Amino acid sequence: MSEEQTDAEVVEPPEPIVIQQLRERFSDHILTVIDQRGELSVVVDKDASFQVLEFLKVDFNLSYDFLVDVTAIDYSQMEDVLIEYGYARYMVVYHLNAFLTNERLRVKVPVSEKDFTIKSVVALWNSANWLEREIYDMFGINFDGHPDLRRILMPDDFEGFPLRKDYPLRGRGEREKFNFGRENV
Amino acid sequence: MGLESKLGDSFITTTIDKVVNWGRKNSLWPMPFGTACCAIEMMATLATKFDLSRFGAEAIRFSPRQSDLMIVSGRISIKMMPVLRKIYDQMPEPKWVISMGACASCGGVFDTYTLVQGVDQFIPVDVYVPGCPPRPEDLIDAVMQIQKLIGDETVSVARMAKREEISQATLG
Ligand code: SF4
Repeated sequence: MSEEQTDAEVVEPPEPIVIQQLRERFSDHILTVIDQRGELSVVVDKDASFQVLEFLKVDFNLSYDFLVDVTAIDYSQMEDVLIEYGYARYMVVYHLNAFLTNERLRVKVPVSEKDFTIKSVVALWNSANWLEREIYDMFGINFDGHPDLRRILMPDDFEGFPLRKDYPLRGRGEREKFNFGRENV
Repeated sequence: MGLESKLGDSFITTTIDKVVNWGRKNSLWPMPFGTACCAIEMMATLATKFDLSRFGAEAIRFSPRQSDLMIVSGRISIKMMPVLRKIYDQMPEPKWVISMGACASCGGVFDTYTLVQGVDQFIPVDVYVPGCPPRPEDLIDAVMQIQKLIGDETVSVARMAKREEISQATLG
């Protein structure tokens, strides 16, 4: 990678059309483009995440109409990633698929601990509803504009967010304290 | 015995306990509480190859009100435990519980924040089946153990009192 960048003679192949289009429209907001053996990932600024995803879905030629998955990653123990994205601890990841062209695309959005809110994409894909609830449940990331943001897997009165790296595997005594929500047993 | 010799071949004398227990233990109606991989093994036990009906326990009932043997086969999370307890409470007496597999008995390999480390903290368990998952033969053995337990029981109110005591001790 670094070799290619220093050597001016190497002609890089043109970027995929979707990346070209995204750069054209959202140049300031595209942080990184990763092409790992033909698997495309785009890291996008949080402010523009909704607009980027909307464009990817609505644009006639791209039409990434299928939201395969939404998930999140806690990078708190990966120093290099933290440094690269201004110490944004979390990354919300959207996996998209276009039925028309059978292309796949991964859109990653860094979310810092200072501002835990990201715009919900339920308005674009209804299937994001439960996926975003799961992220909220496991990481505590809030989704602005989500119609029904509450826990989906853990009990409603559960405290803490189990998939954060600082959450202990055996929990903080939830299972020992568990008593069907009744007192004095 | 004296009475039979007077009444002829068509009569036998026995005790009420023996008759009731004989009936109960040869027609167990299991309530399958299958929440994970162990449930697959439970299904195998019920299917033709291992055929739990040889032991009179093939009439699986998904309604707790029609069953008397609960088979807890799988992981129980703290969100599932109230459901399990509710179903257990809805089963009419007399009732028995088999805790099948490492997960139901002690949490198994899932020593995590959300998993109940043994359902016996919250419901009385009669027979534990070790294994991950236990072989169908093990489950059959557990059913036979239950039958043995039933055989030793009495229909008097004493059993009910004992049940109640255990129930209070585990939860109340
Ligand atoms: S004991 Fe093993 S087979 Fe049974 S539910 Fe647990 S992990 Fe699955």
